[in-house]
Amino acid sequence: MVALARKTLVHEWRRFLPAILAVGFAGLLQLLQAALVLGIFGSASVYITGSAADLWIGYPGTQSVNLGRAIDPNVEARVLMDPAVAKVEPFIWLDADWRGHADTGGESVFVSGIDPQSAGLMFAHALPPALRARLEEPDAVIVDRADIDKLGVAIGGTAAINGHTVRVVGVSSGLRALGGVNVVSSLATARELDTDPADGGRPTYWVASLRDPAQAGAVAARLRGDGAFGPYEVWTAQGFARRSVLYWMLDTGAGAGVLFLAGIVFLVGAVITSQTLVAAVAGSVREYATLNALGVGVGALRWVVLEQAFWVGALGLLGATVLGAVLLALARGQDVPVVLDIPVTLACVVLAMGLAGVSGLAAIRSLRRADPASLLR
Amino acid sequence: MNASAHPSVVTLRAENVAKAFVSGRLRTQVLDGLSLSIEAGELTLISGPSGCGKSTLLAILSGLQNVDAGRVLALDSELGQLDRGQLEGFRLRHTGFVFQGFNLFPALNAREQVELPLHYLGLSRERARARAVHSLEEVGLARRMGLKPAELSGGEKQRVAIARALAKRPQLLFADEPTSALDAASGQTIIDILHRIARTHGTTVLCVSHDPRLIGHADRVLAMEDGRILSDRRVSASPAPHLGTPS
Repeated sequence: MVALARKTLVHEWRRFLPAILAVGFAGLLQLLQAALVLGIFGSASVYITGSAADLWIGYPGTQSVNLGRAIDPNVEARVLMDPAVAKVEPFIWLDADWRGHADTGGESVFVSGIDPQSAGLMFAHALPPALRARLEEPDAVIVDRADIDKLGVAIGGTAAINGHTVRVVGVSSGLRALGGVNVVSSLATARELDTDPADGGRPTYWVASLRDPAQAGAVAARLRGDGAFGPYEVWTAQGFARRSVLYWMLDTGAGAGVLFLAGIVFLVGAVITSQTLVAAVAGSVREYATLNALGVGVGALRWVVLEQAFWVGALGLLGATVLGAVLLALARGQDVPVVLDIPVTLACVVLAMGLAGVSGLAAIRSLRRADPASLLR
Repeated sequence: MNASAHPSVVTLRAENVAKAFVSGRLRTQVLDGLSLSIEAGELTLISGPSGCGKSTLLAILSGLQNVDAGRVLALDSELGQLDRGQLEGFRLRHTGFVFQGFNLFPALNAREQVELPLHYLGLSRERARARAVHSLEEVGLARRMGLKPAELSGGEKQRVAIARALAKRPQLLFADEPTSALDAASGQTIIDILHRIARTHGTTVLCVSHDPRLIGHADRVLAMEDGRILSDRRVSASPAPHLGTPS
C-alpha cells in the first residue's frame, strides 16, 4: 500500500506543523498542569505518603489530614487487638505560631510530633534514620530545606514555637506543606508545644503497620464501627491520602479550575488542529476527487484523512513527552512540587489523541468538496 | 494492431438524456434529449466551444453525474440504477480518467501515483508495482518513474495521469481537455498515446476537447453546440500513432 497519509505529511510538513504544535502544546500544558496540581495538592497528604503506615486511625469524619482532632489513647489497645496489626504508633499534628530571630514576623507552622526511633513509621520515607535520631534531643526540630529562608533560621539556630524555644537540628527535603510550613519534632517536644488544654497530650492519629499490607482494606473495614474505645475512624493510607488531596482540590476550587482549563486547552487545540487539517485536505481536494473518479471510495479517502490526524497527534505527543520530561526534571531540581502518575499521564495522552481525532473528523467534512464532477470544465 | 482487430461494439450509449442546472431561479438546460453511441477500440472526440455541454455529457456518460431524464448504458449497466457505492465500484473496475489538471499528489513519485488506485482494486503489492511499471513504460516514462510531480514537465505529468488511468486496465477511458494545459508537442504525444490505447487495448476512449489540433488524430469526431450534436463524422485517414514518443 502506498502510504499516502504519511508521505504527504513528510512532504508537506510545513503545512502540518501548526497542527503538530497545537496537539503538542495542548498535551504539554495539560501534562504540566496536572503534574503541578498533583504535586501541590499532593503535599496535603505528605504526612501519609511520606510514612510507612498502612492504616490511619483518627477522629470520625476527618476530611483532610490537617483537620484532625485529638482522639482517645485507648484506641491503640483496640487496634493492637487485631492480629493483622504489626505495630501502632501515635502521631501528633498541631497548628502553631513560629517566631524566628530574623525579621520574618510570625509564620504559621504545622508541627508533626513523631516517634524518632529508626523503625518509626511516621516519615519513614522522608527522614533518614540518622536525621530522625537527632529529634531525640529535647526541643529539637527539623524543617524542610525549601522553607528555611522563609523561617529566617539556619541549622543549629533557635526560634520560638508557641512561645517555646526550639532548635533546628536538620533539614529535610520533600516535606513542603500546603498553606504553611511543616516542622517535625519528637512526640515529647510536640506535647510541650501544644498549648491547647483540650488536647491534653493525646495524639491526633494512631498509625499502624500490618503484617500483610495487602490486607489494609479488609483490616480497616474490620476495625471500623467499634465505639467501645471512644469515637474513631479507620482509613487505609491510600484512602486517607486521596481523601486529603480531594478535600483540598475541591475546597480551593482547583479541581474545577483544572477541568475548566482542560476544556479550554482542548478547544483551542482542536480549533487550530482541525483548521490546519481542513486546509491540508482542501489543498489536495482535486487529487482526492481524482481518486474518487477512479473509483476509490469516499470511505477510503476518509481513512487517509484520519490517518493523517493520527500521525499529527502521535508526533505532537512525542514532542510533548520530550519537552515535558525536560521541564519536569527542571521543576524537580528547583523543589517545585510536581507529581505525575500513570493514570493521569494516560489521561493526558488520551486527551491529546482525542483532540487529533476530533480534528480529523472535522476535516473529513471538507472531503465533501472532493466531487469528481467538479474536475470537469 | 488497428481498429479492424476489434469489431465495432457499442460500449457507451446515451438515450434521450436531459440535464439542467439550476442556479437560484435560473434554470439552464444543458442537454436536451440527446442520444448517441460510442464504440470500443477507437478514440472518439467530442469537440465544441466552451459551454456547449460537452463536459456535462462526459460526466453523465462516465457516471460522475446523474441525468434528469433518459438513460445511460455503460458496458450493459444502466448507470442511473446504481447507488453511489455501486457507481464507485463500477468506476473502480471499468473506468479511467484523465483531466486537464493532472491532479497528482505532490508527495508521491510517478510509480506511487500509478500504484495507489491499484491497491483499492485488491491487487497485491507486487502485482500493483509490476502493473504500474508496465503502464509507465507504455507511456514512455520508464526512466522517470522515481520522480515527483515537481520534477516532471507538464507533458510528463499528463503521461503519469494517463498511466494511472491505464494501469487499472479500464474498458472505458475518459479524457477531459487532456491537452489544454500543454504545448503543441506534448499535446501531440498525449493524443497519440490515447489513440494507441484505444487501438491496442480495445479500450473505449472518449475525449472531450475544444482543441482543434486533436481533430485530425481522432477516429470519430462529434461536434457539439448548445447541448446538441451538430455533426458526427469518422476520420478515415488518421495518422499512425508514434509509440511512446517522449515529449
